[in-house]
Amino acid sequence: MPPPEDSSQPRLAAGCRWGMEKEKESKPGSKTERVILYPEGALRLRDTGLLILESCDGQRTFGEIIAELQAKFGDADPGKIRSDIGQFLEQLRQKRIVDY
Amino acid sequence: MMIPNPLALIAEITHRCPLHCVYCSNPIEMAAASSEMSTTEWIDIFQQAGKLGMLHAHFTGGEPLARPDLTKLIAGARAAGLYTNLITSGIGLAGARLQALVEAGLDHIQISFQDSREEAANWIAGAKAHAHKVELSHLIRRHKIAFTVNLVVHRQNIDHLEEMIAFIEELAPDRMEIAHTQYYGWALRNRAALLPTRAQLERAVQAVAAAEKRLAGRIRIDSVVPDYYARFPKVCMGGWGRRLMLINPAGKALPCHAAEVIPGLEFENVRRQTLEFIWKESSSFQRFRGEEWMPEPCRSCDQRAEDFGGCRCQALLLTGNAAATDPACSLAPAHHIIEAALREEANSGAAISQPISAPSFVQLQQRAGNLWSYRTNPE
Repeated sequence: MPPPEDSSQPRLAAGCRWGMEKEKESKPGSKTERVILYPEGALRLRDTGLLILESCDGQRTFGEIIAELQAKFGDADPGKIRSDIGQFLEQLRQKRIVDY
Repeated sequence: MMIPNPLALIAEITHRCPLHCVYCSNPIEMAAASSEMSTTEWIDIFQQAGKLGMLHAHFTGGEPLARPDLTKLIAGARAAGLYTNLITSGIGLAGARLQALVEAGLDHIQISFQDSREEAANWIAGAKAHAHKVELSHLIRRHKIAFTVNLVVHRQNIDHLEEMIAFIEELAPDRMEIAHTQYYGWALRNRAALLPTRAQLERAVQAVAAAEKRLAGRIRIDSVVPDYYARFPKVCMGGWGRRLMLINPAGKALPCHAAEVIPGLEFENVRRQTLEFIWKESSSFQRFRGEEWMPEPCRSCDQRAEDFGGCRCQALLLTGNAAATDPACSLAPAHHIIEAALREEANSGAAISQPISAPSFVQLQQRAGNLWSYRTNPE
């Protein structure tokens, strides 16, 4: 199974969704953390993982998501950003959490 | 002892069921319809579960559709912040009701198939359910919810596993669970007719591996080697009192749905105690939590934080002692019991006895091995 193409629009797969924000998770000083709920499991996300999945709204293309993150993390190797994100989404597609 | 956070509630909302599966692992002693909790009582429990940090509510039975208020219950669980999963035979579910359930916030529906061959499937289920389930599967795919097909495998059907996988592929679920029968209740009684041979199992493992490769990115396959053939026991319920709380139709809170077979345990009722009290303070949830209760070889075993000594109910059923190492473990003093079953029963031609009015609920027990795959971050 290939990683996303530039024109594909990654989104959460059917039956996967963001969990409700819990008060204790948004205390001042605590790192932002969100949960994706899926059948029989949950994925706790923070930092870049969170940024990527929040971008997977079914509107933005993979190409656009990559470009945004490459701009945001200008210090990092753009090729590495592309391949890491592609791999991350490919893994989540195999788990049926993401579709593209 | 550090008390772990509970992650999911198993809401056994009724014991009524139209099926009579030969491997049914429901308690023989069922809660009567008259003692079932009301809509309001259940919704209060979902609220408590959400506040306690639980993430999922699994609706099961019996057959959950036997409750006319199921739509309200799903909505109640959703409002409490829980991910809702309906485990059903699908009997009695028509288009309009499915639509209402989805609108109420149903996230995931799970249907089990007994076989790809209609006659065999209906015989195992003791009801003409197969054709209806196929029809329902097509209906489910019109909605944006997650769909899992659970396939129950045993010696009577494992030789055409490839055909069954191809059949499920046509139903286009997101997930496929290949669940080997586990031996409790009716299945234990029928074990000599259900236990596959090692050669059958090895062919099945190959068939699953090939299907996983072929279906990658389309259908996720979850499959666990049956514990009788495994080196280490299954992580039953993700560990006792560690992940899950089951509430039965009458409000009794159990660490697993078979826990009532264990003598000497007293279970609390959510009609009298809060979920938080039951989870943190009750003696039943503490009885096999952590490592204090463990005998050798578990106590000093490297695997003890992986499998928690296996299944307490299986230990009891096979050795008479719920605090023994699960005999399924190759290191267990009582492992000879499993070896004898494999030697004497797996190759026998024993016939099946069928429960007459036992309710169908096998899925959760069977999936216990990989059910609680809660991850803190993608690996």
